[in-house]
Amino acid sequence: MEDERGAALILEHLLLALVGLLVPLCLWVVFVAVPTEEKMGVVQRIFYFHVPAAFSAFLGVGLCAIFSALYLWKRDRRYDLVAHASAEIGVLFCTIVLITGPIWARPVWGVWWTGEVRLTSTLILWLIYVGYLLLRQSAENREQAARWAAVVGIVGALDMPIIYKSVEWWRGLHPKVLKMSGGGGLDPRMERALLLCTVTFFLLFGYLLIQRCRLGRLEDEIDALAQDAPRRGTGAPATV
Amino acid sequence: MHGIDPAALGASLLTLLQEIAAPAARAAEEAASRPGTAERSLRFLAGAYIVVWGVLGAYMLILSVRLRALSRQVRRLKERLEG
Repeated sequence: MEDERGAALILEHLLLALVGLLVPLCLWVVFVAVPTEEKMGVVQRIFYFHVPAAFSAFLGVGLCAIFSALYLWKRDRRYDLVAHASAEIGVLFCTIVLITGPIWARPVWGVWWTGEVRLTSTLILWLIYVGYLLLRQSAENREQAARWAAVVGIVGALDMPIIYKSVEWWRGLHPKVLKMSGGGGLDPRMERALLLCTVTFFLLFGYLLIQRCRLGRLEDEIDALAQDAPRRGTGAPATV
Repeated sequence: MHGIDPAALGASLLTLLQEIAAPAARAAEEAASRPGTAERSLRFLAGAYIVVWGVLGAYMLILSVRLRALSRQVRRLKERLEG
């Protein structure tokens, strides 16, 4: 267990160092190295953080669904911890997507928000996982919270393919970022910048995930110690 | 009795969807042709980046404060139980 924690701590520091190096590089690439898009102008540069944030939100939701399923199968608390942490970080990145999207849309489309399917389905995803987090807080005991949240975590992930395919299925206004064949129509420099920013966001996601899991473990430890206190007769209060 | 032609129905639905999306598309064209668009775009760009790093920074700060507080709490509880 101690070895596991030591390895997680080393990985956490390594990820932080990498993120610390890559973020300034991303900013330099996005603002200096990448050419300005002809039609949208400089506001298109929002894309380099908006899209990686969307991928990170998907990563969070996907991990939450996988670890929720594992929890329902094995009933191991560690899986629930990872699912909870992934959902919280997924919501964080989805919030960034939902804020930066309208900021991009206002000068490009002339409106902050429209009833476009990708926008609406992303908002629904955000609401589902905010509900997931609220459900965990409102449940009476941890076991019940974990069980119900796992179900929501799995069902909520069904929104992901809808978000991804919505531009094709409903021919929405939202630009198509990735095409499965024939390339995305992006300048190679833009593609490389997007890849760099995506890798940086994934590393940041990993760092936040390790930290959030550590927080969950500490909460468990406090609960265990608080339960242990009356048995030992030390009179230590449940909360300090 | 005449049945509904699926192809015609599909085409009508597509036209309807395009009509729904048309105001936003027109607004996009108008927005791009407006004077001072570059300046406004820069403001939007700056706003977006401030939001991204503001949200991420705030979350990291909250996380580290909570981690420190909980670590202290665990240490204190352990001391009480051992002492």
